[in-house]
Amino acid sequence: MTLDNFVCEQFSTSRAYQFFHMHVNRTPMKNEETTVSQDALKLLNNASNIIAITSHEFKTPLTAISAVVELLGARLQASQQMDAFYEKNLSRITTEIFRLNSMLDEMLTINSIMSGRMTLNKQIIDVVQMLTTLRSNYYADPEDTRSFELTVTGIPQGIYADHNQMNRIFMNLVGNAFKFSREKSPVVEVHFDHHQVVIRFIDDGIGIPASDLPQLFQPFFRASNVNEIAGTGLGLSIVKTFVQENNGTITVDSIVGEGSTFTLTFLYYSDSL
Amino acid sequence: MQHTILLIEDKPGLRDTIQSLLELHQYQVITAANGEEGIHMATEHLPDLVISDIYMPVLNGYQLLEAFRAHEQLRYIPVIILSARSATEEVSLAIEKGAAAYINKPFLFANLNASIQQLLQTTSGSAPLTL
Repeated sequence: MTLDNFVCEQFSTSRAYQFFHMHVNRTPMKNEETTVSQDALKLLNNASNIIAITSHEFKTPLTAISAVVELLGARLQASQQMDAFYEKNLSRITTEIFRLNSMLDEMLTINSIMSGRMTLNKQIIDVVQMLTTLRSNYYADPEDTRSFELTVTGIPQGIYADHNQMNRIFMNLVGNAFKFSREKSPVVEVHFDHHQVVIRFIDDGIGIPASDLPQLFQPFFRASNVNEIAGTGLGLSIVKTFVQENNGTITVDSIVGEGSTFTLTFLYYSDSL
Repeated sequence: MQHTILLIEDKPGLRDTIQSLLELHQYQVITAANGEEGIHMATEHLPDLVISDIYMPVLNGYQLLEAFRAHEQLRYIPVIILSARSATEEVSLAIEKGAAAYINKPFLFANLNASIQQLLQTTSGSAPLTL
């Protein structure tokens, strides 16, 4: 089942749908049919617009809060009042702000998929450049000083894909590698093979139980051993949808307690024509 | 040498906080609440660098970039765009119109400061940064 089908199915049993059914989708009189279905579409479009606008609007107070937290930290440092307690708790606030921001981004993405506004804008993409940019700007937990290692083998070639979607795929897989591991730095291996690029995201994290692997890319599914590690359960389903949209493949190998490897493949631009 | 930064942001609370953060890091800061006010301040003070939001009343960030590019003196001042919009099309449009860097909101001040430092050190004509 695709992500949009699944979300639509969830919607059909939700309270929102019941409200929608009661107030809009009642049995129409003969001449009312067209008007009612147009109203229904309008309502759905409005709902989608509201989600898009409010999600963006949430970013304004989030930015203000994170800037204030940083200002407090800078003032405490400047007046030599910063201690381990303040440092730890201020960085926790920042971590939660960025976590909430990621959730908003996931919501915006789901909303775009559902409303049919997710248009593909394929172009030739340099995956090494994208991953290099991501490495230098990736925001991780301030208490986590690791960066991911990037290795490149083979002769680099471009792939034909949507830049926004590839960015979301990479950010999500790198984010998971950090989130579910604590010892070694996550590794991203890019290998330019004969006809395709193979990209592996490797971590030494908690791993995924074998019984969970078949459902791993289902929306809202979370592995049974994630405990209190936060997440919406939407990230990997978005990743899989985007990989498929860009004619790629994704597989996962994992051993509990040893780590996980997510492997992506994409054909080169010259081979995908 | 103390550098002057023009900060253009329409939300007063956020503008005050970023201004205080910049001042704590030894920058001299002047502010404006929209693009039009920003162009006026920039022409009057010729700052070393500009930080600007995109979606603002009166004159938005894209229009500001166009006006800077068309101005004989302002065209050499690097402009960092600070925006909640992260779509590739929006980032590309800002870079096309002359932005020297693009940073997403919410942001870490360390990242903003790193691009300020880099832009102040490099001469005009360097490749744009996308953060």
